Amino acid sequence: MDDETFLLLLLPDSNLPTGSFVASSGFESYIKHGFGGDQNNRTIMFMRDSISAYARSALAFVSDTHRIVQDKLTNYTMPLNDVTKRASKSQGVALLTLYSKGLTPPLALTGVKNREETEIEVNSYMTSLVSQYKSLVRAESAPGHLPICWGILTSALGLTSERSQYLHIFLHARSLLSVSVRLNEIPYNAQQTLLHISRSVIEAEVVRCKDLRTGIPSSTGTESDQPDGVDDKSRGPANTWPLGEILAARHDLQHSRIFNS
Amino acid sequence: MPGSSTSISKIQAGGGRITLSSHGGKAWISEFSATYPLKLLSPRLSDNTVAIVYVLTYGGGLVGGDCIELTVNVESDTKLLLLSQGSTKVFKDRPQQRLASVQRSDYASRSTPGQAPATLQIMNFTVSSQAALFLLPDPVTCFRSASYSQIQTFRASKDATLVILDWITSGRKSLGEDWVLSRYYSVNEVLIAGKRVAKDVMLLENNEFNSDSRLNRSLAEKLSPFACYATVILRGPLVEETIAQLTTRYGGISIMQRKAPEDLLWSLSSIGSDKENGVVVRVAGKETEMVKDWLKNTLRSLEQHIGVDVYRRAFV
Repeated sequence: MDDETFLLLLLPDSNLPTGSFVASSGFESYIKHGFGGDQNNRTIMFMRDSISAYARSALAFVSDTHRIVQDKLTNYTMPLNDVTKRASKSQGVALLTLYSKGLTPPLALTGVKNREETEIEVNSYMTSLVSQYKSLVRAESAPGHLPICWGILTSALGLTSERSQYLHIFLHARSLLSVSVRLNEIPYNAQQTLLHISRSVIEAEVVRCKDLRTGIPSSTGTESDQPDGVDDKSRGPANTWPLGEILAARHDLQHSRIFNS
Repeated sequence: MPGSSTSISKIQAGGGRITLSSHGGKAWISEFSATYPLKLLSPRLSDNTVAIVYVLTYGGGLVGGDCIELTVNVESDTKLLLLSQGSTKVFKDRPQQRLASVQRSDYASRSTPGQAPATLQIMNFTVSSQAALFLLPDPVTCFRSASYSQIQTFRASKDATLVILDWITSGRKSLGEDWVLSRYYSVNEVLIAGKRVAKDVMLLENNEFNSDSRLNRSLAEKLSPFACYATVILRGPLVEETIAQLTTRYGGISIMQRKAPEDLLWSLSSIGSDKENGVVVRVAGKETEMVKDWLKNTLRSLEQHIGVDVYRRAFV
């Protein structure tokens, strides 16, 4: 079994300790505010809009970060609302911690003879890069948002950019379904069916957003992506669902709630 | 002598420049130019610390291929209120150019082969120390199949005040237009003391992208039931009180399970992690009038800084 396949089996584990189970991505707020009509269609409707919106706002950061793990990362200055910011940062940091504590080769194995020297070097370089970024986040010099940390994690682990993008959106969709079950929106056994139905949505959105960039120059210095130059066909992150944005921000206004965001 | 521009820059079609300077405690417009289809008007006011400029377009709207580029300098100790007269209407792409004697800018001349050029509006603002910019236009209305891009960049000093309103409505109700625009792209970028603190990008598109029509969501479905969406960025000394009021109001809202959405929803969020960066308010309303009234009431404390008569001109 190749490395990448193994990673693809490991990363989507719902027990991965990233704290994503407390984030509803605005779904709880959406329901509480009376949106979506009756229960029958609510989940799929929300998923459709949320996946599309999330892909448009986040994927460029995953892609760019993945591509230039060594370079200084851009400041994520799309003004996320306070609730989403909170959720994004905590999950981001959790991912970085996961890498340092869980996914680097254990010290005991570094002496194993059939490991390549360069692989060990790369691993220790990545570990130090990740911990450097974590320090920046703790010092509040870097935001440490989820899509950025996901880009770092998957790049450090050697996942291809395409896989990284796809998996990120897949996990967003899957998380929404878990949320839906916990909110008693869909029965437990509907999760897999809806995930299957969502496949075309996930694929469509990843294809649509895979070439988006945040506008930082590449490490080779040849690219001059200016998402808002007048040649722009808007190739950068954007908010495409203002309603979702308002409801996610209003999450904390719910009188009672079970999710953190 | 205010050195806002040492030479008169070559003006392209749709170009404009406004500079508001201060001299002896009074604000005066030291630079004021616009070329077709852009038109600027500045009424004389009794209060001479504030100036109002109406930003208009000939014909009352923008058509495909129009490119407006406006540069605004609000110099120290001055206050500028930028308004429009009626909603900025954006008409569908049209292959022909407007007739104008002035050379069209490069942007407007470029177009994707086989596709009519979209409408573009670029505004660059510089707001100096102890100055204030109140950008309170009417909302943009993109008509059926219209394509519109708007790029606004704000460079402000640490102690400058910014009130930036950017809003859009769903179309001509009389013609049953409900979010049937082709594309709406709006960027508001804010730099404080040279450092970028926010870049708010809104993109609304109607495209039949997904082959599975069951999963395809039109813009109208995504944005329903609201016909008007607004974004307001507030930062700086003159809006501290407004921000405090908003924060208190927001904190007092408590939502119980609802059967159906309210007529108007709003959210409040800080920008970045530094209080100095200000806040962003987002509003959605079933009718444009509702959002207008909400904004008018919410921003009312601006009256103490620009006067009741001047404030009255906004949100008519």
